[in-house]
Amino acid sequence: MTIKKPFRPGDLIDIQVRPVRLWTQSLSWLLFLAGIVLYAQFSISRHRENPEDRVVPSLNQLVQGVKASVLEPAEEDDPIDSNAALFERLRHSMLWKDTVASARRFFIALALLLPAVLLGLHMAVFPYADAVFLRFVLFLDKIIALSLLPILFIVFGIEEWSKIMLMVIGVAPTLILDTCNISRSVPREQIVKAFTLKSTNADVAYRVILKQVMPQIINSVRLNLKPLALFLFAGEMIASTDGLAYRIAIMRRHMGMDIILPYLLWVALLLFVLDSLLRFANRRLHPWFQPL
Amino acid sequence: MVSTALRPDPMGPPVPARQRTEIALRDVCVRYPVSGSTSKTVLSCVDLEIFAGEFVVVLGETGCGKSTLLRLILGEEFPTSGSVTVDGKPVTRIDSRSGYVPQKYSLFPDRTVLGNVIYGPENACSRVLGRIRPSFWRFHRSLKSDARVFLERMGLRSQDMDKYPHQLSGGMQQRVAIAQALMMRPPVLLMDEPFSALDPSTRGSLQEQLHALWRETRPTVVFVTHNTSEALLLGTRLVLLGRHYEEDASRSNVLLDLELPTSRLPFARRKQSPEFQELRERIKLLAYKSSLMNRAEGPVEFPKAADPQ
Repeated sequence: MTIKKPFRPGDLIDIQVRPVRLWTQSLSWLLFLAGIVLYAQFSISRHRENPEDRVVPSLNQLVQGVKASVLEPAEEDDPIDSNAALFERLRHSMLWKDTVASARRFFIALALLLPAVLLGLHMAVFPYADAVFLRFVLFLDKIIALSLLPILFIVFGIEEWSKIMLMVIGVAPTLILDTCNISRSVPREQIVKAFTLKSTNADVAYRVILKQVMPQIINSVRLNLKPLALFLFAGEMIASTDGLAYRIAIMRRHMGMDIILPYLLWVALLLFVLDSLLRFANRRLHPWFQPL
Repeated sequence: MVSTALRPDPMGPPVPARQRTEIALRDVCVRYPVSGSTSKTVLSCVDLEIFAGEFVVVLGETGCGKSTLLRLILGEEFPTSGSVTVDGKPVTRIDSRSGYVPQKYSLFPDRTVLGNVIYGPENACSRVLGRIRPSFWRFHRSLKSDARVFLERMGLRSQDMDKYPHQLSGGMQQRVAIAQALMMRPPVLLMDEPFSALDPSTRGSLQEQLHALWRETRPTVVFVTHNTSEALLLGTRLVLLGRHYEEDASRSNVLLDLELPTSRLPFARRKQSPEFQELRERIKLLAYKSSLMNRAEGPVEFPKAADPQ
């Protein structure tokens, strides 16, 4: 039974306090609300001085920007008939085209990171794999991935693969080392027990250790979503003809904050949804997992 | 030299004949490098012969090398010198000749109770590709029903079978761990303080159950514990590890190796028997003297009182 006590200011710095659910839910939206209010205030004051201000767009400008992104094709593309069906307009819109281009690169890179997970697992399980790869991966991890971009452009050209490889090279070492550490944390007793139960080396690696650490690896991938997006943005901003970051870079030249801000929120939303999906999948697929 | 000869009880059932050596440790030394050129000797000159069907309890204070001894038999560790054999073959790696029940982390957390128990027989039956054959799935079904029967005998209810290990109490987890190891019918069962984290009542019921299972199938059991009463209750033979107070204090070795007369008594009567009380006091004194030697780096005056408490 919980004891309900009225809120006191001292509760804010009390470790033992148990806030009620309504309070925690409300407080979690507080900073969002504060941000919106501050933005609106700032925007109104700037528009009072200059009604044509584009640095801090008004709500009306933002709505127009969103409409343009969602319903209009990009400048470089052929215009679409304004009487076309909504779905057709959405499919040819600037936002859709950029999202598809970025998502393609993002998911190809994510798929290419699978061998990184397997390498980390093998390094933790097989001592010879550890001896061969650990030092090298530790060194690779210290290389600033962005500094490799010129080399990647020379090797892979300025098309898709240089950007994809930038993402892979940027995130893979962290993921390898993380997987290796997670896999090493499986208690030795479990490995010994598995061998006494007639497991082969492959059984121990894939059916005992990999299965046990999979939830933590998914969590590690979740934590690496942002670095992955960061490298994607870096690649797209430097050399690309489409993609979410490309559009933001183009709009910066035209001071198009009415497009940039919805794009930023859209990217954050996409990453948030992907993160939530992974978290949900993790919970459903691994009901036995007990996070610390 | 500590006397290991105890007079057999003429009223008790006969002790099983020592027919075949199952586990043999010959002049085994284990040293770990500590820093630079110094090393720490954990086990020194251990000679131990364990016969098939014996229930050997290894007793000793913390850090005396009990678990190291178990890991040597298991093949998880190797002696610095000397040899370890199981069933006449040298131990070179961990394999299925031995079953293993550790103190904790004994179950795979990603498998249900049933999944944990049938994991070993599944592996023994076929490898990954063999699992696509219909015969495997027929075998799998019969395996599951066997496992259910076995688990019910171990005191698990049918609704517990599909639970994950984290949903079970510590006692239940250890019951499943024992069932998991015994489903493979290993000739040797190695148990590393399996009941030390349990409350006294759960511990008592598990001790009884383990004893009943051992009587039925007679695997060779090596049971590591630091609990004297548990050792005397379960074992047919007791090996006390510690430092020899009469010899070189830096050496860890077998202080006492004796057949337990209490093993001839019915399980329920063991604790009340005078032999049990007498042995317990004797072992406590020996362990106490050894622990004094462990703390002091030289000969010490031993208390004259019989009871170290």
